[in-house]
Amino acid sequence: MMSEKRRLHPAAILFTIVKMFKELIFTIGVGFFAFKEEGMAYFIIGGSALVIIALSFGILSWYRYTYRVEDEELRIEHGIIIRRKRYISKNRIQSIDLTQNVVHRLFKLVKVNIETAGSGMGSEASLKAVKLKTGEALREELKTAKKAATIESADAEQMEQDFPSETITKRRLFVAGTTSGSIGIIFIIFSVVFSDLDQFIPDSYYENTFNTIIGFSIIIITILVLALLLLLWLLGIAGTMIKYGNFTITKHPDELLITRGLLEKKQTTIPLRRIQAVGINESIIRQPFGYVTVYAEVAGGSIQKGEDFSTILFPIMKRTEVDDFLTKLLPEYVSERNKLKGLPAQAKTFYLVRSSMLLMLVAIAMLFLFPQFIWAPIIVLLLCMYIGLLRYKDAGFRIDGERLTLRSRVINRKTIILFHKRIQSFESKQYWLQKRASVATLKASIVSSFGAGTHYKIKDLSVDDAMEIADWYSFRDY
Amino acid sequence: MRQPPIHTIADDAIKTWKITAILYMLILWLSTAAGLVLSIIFDFPLWYVAISILLCGILHYVFVNLLPKVRWKRWRYEIFEQEIYIQHGILIISRTLVPMIRVQHVDTKQGPILKKYQLASVTISTAATTHEIPALLEEDASSLRDRISALARVDEDDV
Repeated sequence: MMSEKRRLHPAAILFTIVKMFKELIFTIGVGFFAFKEEGMAYFIIGGSALVIIALSFGILSWYRYTYRVEDEELRIEHGIIIRRKRYISKNRIQSIDLTQNVVHRLFKLVKVNIETAGSGMGSEASLKAVKLKTGEALREELKTAKKAATIESADAEQMEQDFPSETITKRRLFVAGTTSGSIGIIFIIFSVVFSDLDQFIPDSYYENTFNTIIGFSIIIITILVLALLLLLWLLGIAGTMIKYGNFTITKHPDELLITRGLLEKKQTTIPLRRIQAVGINESIIRQPFGYVTVYAEVAGGSIQKGEDFSTILFPIMKRTEVDDFLTKLLPEYVSERNKLKGLPAQAKTFYLVRSSMLLMLVAIAMLFLFPQFIWAPIIVLLLCMYIGLLRYKDAGFRIDGERLTLRSRVINRKTIILFHKRIQSFESKQYWLQKRASVATLKASIVSSFGAGTHYKIKDLSVDDAMEIADWYSFRDY
Repeated sequence: MRQPPIHTIADDAIKTWKITAILYMLILWLSTAAGLVLSIIFDFPLWYVAISILLCGILHYVFVNLLPKVRWKRWRYEIFEQEIYIQHGILIISRTLVPMIRVQHVDTKQGPILKKYQLASVTISTAATTHEIPALLEEDASSLRDRISALARVDEDDV
């Protein structure tokens, strides 16, 4: 069907050239300033030579880049001086993602990323620009490696509507934006500015100048700062809206398909069998409002960079909706998350000491060096102890047959649901204080997207509970 | 997991760890000596040197005489048909279970110091973690490697 050699859409030339100039922009800038005085002519000559080289390089590399599907393989040949051939067997392909940026959308094009297992960073093959229809056809064809898939794909057309799917509402997206990470930073700056302003300004200065012009200008500065923070916050909202706009997750027979993005449309496929664990993240800002993020740990490639090494299954939803969502898409991951077994009472001390130890030292040092500022570390200390207490309260586990649910908190509360067969290794740790209190720390490791492994830890479980989990994990018969 | 694993590692492990520690300490000793020489030449106060000699002495005792013994005592391993059970750690004792079906590959390794005592270490890798059993007798290490790799040769369901 697609055995003849094909080239990318000519727009690929544009992408190559733009990319080259992006990389060269610094050099060109330096050149411009270096030759500004006398050698402007040289700069122009050099510059136009560069443009010609880039243009011919772009066209040549486009001309040499061919792809075809032959013998159950995707065959790509490219390279100007050194000819490279890359053959990717259909069976090895883990996922095929179609991405569109603004330019792509303008020309009805699409970028095809093809990933294989264990490719780690970046995709195995990436067709920079092909017609949307060609891209979709290519995807269908490469996916048909599995037997009898021709029939399946025909059915898929009709069944499209029947696949369970979830879409994000505009309102939810807005909530997600308002409570995104940027608000945290702003909140910190905000609280520092407002709580500490009085303290840092000496009383006399404060009194004398408050009613004068300087006092007036402080107001202006404050307004400016507030405006800036507001702007940052709005940018945060806009960022989230653009990134997760039109977020849709659909369950196909053996994969999840995620489409998202307002400006750049991204499509991600997650093969179900590569999901290692499902997590529910409650960020400290969203938790009071009852909002959570659902994500999955996926082994192998297909993961965009900078997404916390895991794939977001749904950016924001109410805590109470999680079970319905999972029932619809990943029913085996529905777990009784609210009936976890917590930590023993003696673990509380460990958590409190661990979260405040460092600040205790800071506070003591402060007491000797700057006793007048002792309030600052004490406030932070109390905050840390409170978080330590939350950590203690939130940690817990639950075993249901082959399924293990673990919950812990660093700043955000994370509940993770994983299966026995996904755990690569299991470790229990104890130092002498823990031994005396008969508590132990345990760690379960799973495969993550970058092959380094993700480790889930619960500190200071009672030894009995830790051993119960160890026995559950152990492959030996007792 | 309540009981520690039964096998200890080779007795000579202590010696190899001692040698490694001495090599590292040598760097500290040499820099202290250099400090002493410089202090004498440039007429600096000598009590800095005295303190660093004292520190080096303490560190030497801890890292060369004390820790290798404790470490050896703690190091245990046991191989079952279905899993590998390892215990190690000086202050923090950690016990690890590695299922055979999760083992991706097993390596034996031998550096110059281990070779001198006819020892080798075994490294067990899963898709997410690596675990090392240090300092086994050469033949033990290679038979262990062969045994683990034979036991690990089970059909994986996936990853």
